[in-house]
Amino acid sequence: MLVLTRKIGETIRIADSVTVQVLSVRGSQVSLGIVAPADVRIFREELYREIESQNQNAQLPDAESLAGAEEVWKEYGHGKQR
Amino acid sequence: MASSAEGVSTPPVPSAGETVAVRSRRFGSFDVAREQILEFPSGLIGFPRGRRYVILEHRPGSPFKWLLSIDDPELAFAVADPSELVAGYEPPLEPAAKLLGVVPADVALFVIVTIPRDPKNMTVNLMAPVVVDTQTRKARQMVIEDQGLSPCHPVVPAS
Repeated sequence: MLVLTRKIGETIRIADSVTVQVLSVRGSQVSLGIVAPADVRIFREELYREIESQNQNAQLPDAESLAGAEEVWKEYGHGKQR
Repeated sequence: MASSAEGVSTPPVPSAGETVAVRSRRFGSFDVAREQILEFPSGLIGFPRGRRYVILEHRPGSPFKWLLSIDDPELAFAVADPSELVAGYEPPLEPAAKLLGVVPADVALFVIVTIPRDPKNMTVNLMAPVVVDTQTRKARQMVIEDQGLSPCHPVVPAS
């Protein structure tokens, strides 16, 4: 891991198009300002992990599960009973 | 950490009229027309290497479709129009359009469905729907923060 020490107001540049600026430090909380192109996804790590894990769980359900899901949709799907 | 996609070369999308051959053990062998390919410039979250996907019909009348990776044809997700599965769902077309840089009329939105062993426990990812610019077929998995949306919203309400 690269460790850099910065003061409030100072910036780190990552590659050519991403900057991370230290905006404020209050106790153990650090506010960062990030500037990056629109196609660069920026998340809190916990959120990224949560969605990554959900995507992992969702991959390749088998045909039987999907058939079961269709039955559930017939019973509970919006536009059917509701 | 998710591996960086750097250094992974994605073959260029072929020009008009061309097709891409898909060979999948699960889904068989077929050709996909260029205009059917969805391009995810940064992949799905946690799957940075797959950039090109295609939507396959599951069967007529089914609310489910397959989102199949062209770059890894053994990777697929069940997806659906969320309005089929979640009552009162309002697709966030405005933020999606803003993210994609298009007008809301050019946005298609669907959700990834997680189907566990007991399908009554299936969930949809409302926090991170897939949004597509229907003009260019550029697609992204959009993350909606701070709206109380769940990545695993149950389809069958808890009774």
